[in-house]
Amino acid sequence: MGALALQTEQLLPEQIAELLGLSGVPGEIVGGLIGAFLIANIMLTMTAIAGPWAKRKITAAFTDRIAVNRIGPFGLLIIIPDAVRLLSKELIVPEGVDRPSWDLAPIILPASALLGFAVIPMGDLGPVNIHLADPEAGLAIVFAFASIASVALVMAGYASNNKYSLMGGLRAVAQNIAYEIPLIITALSVVIFAGTLQMSEIVAAQGTALFTIAGVSIPAWYAFVNPFAFVLFLVANMAEIGRNPFDIPEAPTEIVAGYQTEYSSVYFVLFYLGEFIHIFLGGAIMAVVFLGGAAAPIPALEFIPGFVWFVIKIWAFFLFTQWCRSALPRVRIDQLIEIGWKGMLVLSFANLVLTAIIVGVII
Amino acid sequence: MSLEEPLPDTVQEQSADDLEALLGDLVIGREEHINAPGFVIRPDTVQESLRRLRDDAGFDHLSCVTAQEYEDRFESIYHLKKFDDPTQEVSVVVPADKENPVSQSADAVFRTADWHEREAYDLVGIQYEDHPDLRRILLPDTWQGHPLSMDYDQDQPQIVALREHANPLQEDHRSETDSDTMFLNIGPHHPATHGVLHVKATLEGEQIADVESDLGYLHRCEEQLCQNSTYRHQIMPYPDRWDYISAGLLNEWAYARAAEDLNDIEVPEYAQIIRTMGAELCRMAAHFLALGTFALDVYGDFTAIFMYAIRDREEVQNILEDLTGQRLMFNYFRLGGVVWDLPEPRDEFFENIRDYLDELPEHLEEYHDLVTGNEILQLRTIGTGVLPPEVAKSYGATGPVARGSGIDYDLRRDDPYGYYDELDWDVIVEDGCDNYSRLLVRMQEVEQSARIVEQCIDLLEDWPEDERNIQSNVPRTLRPDDDTEIYRAVEGAKGELGIYIRADGTDKPGRFKIRSPCFSNLQTLPEMSNGEYVPDMIAALGSLDIVLGEVDR
Amino acid sequence: MIGLLKSMATTMKHALDGKTFTVEYPETAPEVSPRFRGVHKFSQERCIWCRQCENVCPNDTIQIVQDDMRNGEQYNLHIGQCIYCRLCEEVCPVDAILLTQNFEFTADTKNEFVYNKEQLKNVPWYKGIDPLNSRNPDRSAWVGEGDGEIDYQ
Ligand code: SF4
Ligand code: SF4
Repeated sequence: MGALALQTEQLLPEQIAELLGLSGVPGEIVGGLIGAFLIANIMLTMTAIAGPWAKRKITAAFTDRIAVNRIGPFGLLIIIPDAVRLLSKELIVPEGVDRPSWDLAPIILPASALLGFAVIPMGDLGPVNIHLADPEAGLAIVFAFASIASVALVMAGYASNNKYSLMGGLRAVAQNIAYEIPLIITALSVVIFAGTLQMSEIVAAQGTALFTIAGVSIPAWYAFVNPFAFVLFLVANMAEIGRNPFDIPEAPTEIVAGYQTEYSSVYFVLFYLGEFIHIFLGGAIMAVVFLGGAAAPIPALEFIPGFVWFVIKIWAFFLFTQWCRSALPRVRIDQLIEIGWKGMLVLSFANLVLTAIIVGVII
Repeated sequence: MSLEEPLPDTVQEQSADDLEALLGDLVIGREEHINAPGFVIRPDTVQESLRRLRDDAGFDHLSCVTAQEYEDRFESIYHLKKFDDPTQEVSVVVPADKENPVSQSADAVFRTADWHEREAYDLVGIQYEDHPDLRRILLPDTWQGHPLSMDYDQDQPQIVALREHANPLQEDHRSETDSDTMFLNIGPHHPATHGVLHVKATLEGEQIADVESDLGYLHRCEEQLCQNSTYRHQIMPYPDRWDYISAGLLNEWAYARAAEDLNDIEVPEYAQIIRTMGAELCRMAAHFLALGTFALDVYGDFTAIFMYAIRDREEVQNILEDLTGQRLMFNYFRLGGVVWDLPEPRDEFFENIRDYLDELPEHLEEYHDLVTGNEILQLRTIGTGVLPPEVAKSYGATGPVARGSGIDYDLRRDDPYGYYDELDWDVIVEDGCDNYSRLLVRMQEVEQSARIVEQCIDLLEDWPEDERNIQSNVPRTLRPDDDTEIYRAVEGAKGELGIYIRADGTDKPGRFKIRSPCFSNLQTLPEMSNGEYVPDMIAALGSLDIVLGEVDR
Repeated sequence: MIGLLKSMATTMKHALDGKTFTVEYPETAPEVSPRFRGVHKFSQERCIWCRQCENVCPNDTIQIVQDDMRNGEQYNLHIGQCIYCRLCEEVCPVDAILLTQNFEFTADTKNEFVYNKEQLKNVPWYKGIDPLNSRNPDRSAWVGEGDGEIDYQ
């Protein structure tokens, strides 16, 4: 299967180095930089489509409206004027902000999310295998990068010298701590199945068929193997990236815009970017850990490149966040913490123990 | 849940003389207002008189406090009613000295007097003794003079020295040495204040220790505008601008009812039915918006429910536009009737309404799926923003807020006007006292309004063509007798919307006082939110469904 | 949980049915009711300068200037201050002032909204609908294109 073939392929930086005829350390550095640049650009392009255009279109569909449709086909070119508009706005620096950290926060947020993509195997596109690095502790690294985001939120909240921002920042920490643990514990149950933390191995472990009904083979994606863990992970992931019904750090009707209340212009764009990349990173983790990475759902569709499947999967996750946003009320901060510590944590441990027993007994 | 019609004889009715006997030597004079007997009392016996009337005669609803200035005296009028039977009314008239207008505060008896007396102090200039917090409420603290008093100079420039013009936001940056609380300004520009309300919140962590509403950002002194306009034509456009959330016809009816009773104008039955139909359409539109914005407050930014509610409201507005010619500022009622008959072709108009009403149950079902059936919403709203019935009564809360607290009070049934008592409908009461109950009440009231509209169009359709009388004969100039006073209320979208008019023998009112339901309802906010989390305070504010145009007038 | 799923199903249903209730303004101009009240149109030929409209207007939007023989000289109306209550049309005995359905007007400053009688005369009908005709079918005097030349001058 495609996914199995992937791991034998070279990683993206090696391929680039080979192409340029470099080898050794210079090859690694140049290849790595160019690879990172490419992947960052892919993600930023996706964000640019998602932010000004797709999000509007999706929201409009849910709310029975038309939305952007005047510039370009389906209004797609709105992205350009929107970018110009956002970037040309005045950057307002409020009195009394804590300058270095106020400036750093909007850089850290998108950067941390982008870093996470370094270890994500994004499938192949023709002969190219889009995967920057494949360290042995890949899954741990991606969680580590993703949770740097909460540092950015606290910095922004604290440095803004605004009470709403402060509350947003504090809420962000409380929420992240409460949901990070269930998130990782649930991911661990997958690690028990796969027996490794390496991303490519996790993907490869999902490459077999789980069972076959009437000629259609259901792949052994962990979402099908352990749907309970999948749902848990999905909920914890929503909280981790702060989307409805867990958009508490922003909570527009309560604390205006939370940590980003005081940000405008470029900094605002950076936050906005960071949030979207974060959603995509959340989707990427979901795809790798539970949805077979870049694999096609049925063998018949394998002619479509893996990367396309991967993009479809993370967009599906994005769509799902927007769907929730249209229909689910925001929970209150204390209820959120309660759900996190009393519900999710217990359930994720139960899941872990059960998985361990099952894996121990059966396999 | 609908309750039985209240049995009128369960509420003991006292004659004016009984009441006078009850008040005994507190009474120093009698007055007759068109709506109720008035007892003049000394300014230092306000609490005693009101307490007796409340405890011994059952007048548990201080509907309104009107203050005004005469040539020789100031006067505060306390309009009392009974929640069980609002047709029983009594006015307590408290004259105060012209030179030194001091009067006892009623705050100790009715909590609602707090804001009403502050307003009276602000606009007219009567000092209330024992008032817990006698400050200006609608005008800025630095305002000079009292706009509705006689010696107020309109043209006097409001010059405020810099040192007096304290920045209201400044002091909160410095917290008192080692307090654990945080002061937070919510509004006047905030996504959840539904306009320009400023809530000063003191937080303990995320919990509310204290909230205080700061009003007046939208104050236009509508009372003065109406006092400078003629009864016959000019006042009618203004009620649309109090509760401007498409509840215009309900507001117009408040003025129409008071002015028609004042001038003895009959309204033809046909016009009454049109009025009833229009008013209920307005109520539906207003409740849809309340539902949508409440969803906005609880769900977060731009939820689908808001847009669906707007869609439904838009359809009601299309019908209202066909009927009245405008989507918000209807100006459709006239004293003695309405300005236009139903639009031609009538069949098409009826059909539009019928189509809309036919779709409504399906849409409401959708709202129930989306809102009331949603577990997270229930988690958020059940048991939060609790307003016990006694507290609600003491604050003079009315409308869906009171009915959500189990108070069975609806002027359409209890003090019938228009065509309501001929129709078959129910008063919705929920006794959860929380945000969820208020939401349920509004959603069910939409159903009831639809029932009323349906019956109205059945009646209108069969009305004989030569009896379609939309307006009675009303003289071009109306001059009610000098010194006649009336207070009349209707059930607006947010509750009891009352108008007090004192005629001074000219074609314009001598005193025009608006009893705004939102004003009284908003006063309950601290009771509902103290000790709760910020999001619950926001939800409670949303469930009160205030419109700042009506709060500030 | 069932409630949550129901909520999500409901919004998805809306997303998939492809129906929209917003329109593309200005390509799709909204249908307004014949009774809709927009900018005024004034006819000097009809006006008898009785000043009733000026008197009834609740917020002094109309200003009439007459010479000492009580002949009308100016008729100014501040359409930015008007509250579109239609009382002026209601009291006018000769239908010299009436509200068209035209609501599309802009200006750079507030002062430009003060329309004099010429400007008021040139206000176009909205989509060619003569409001008075549809409001009051038996007043045939108002039938016409309303382009300011043929009928309504
Ligand atoms: S519509 Fe009303 S406000 Fe406007 S000019 Fe006529 S009377 Fe005055
Ligand atoms: S009411 Fe009519 S006729 Fe009289 S002045 Fe006004 S526009 Fe002219």
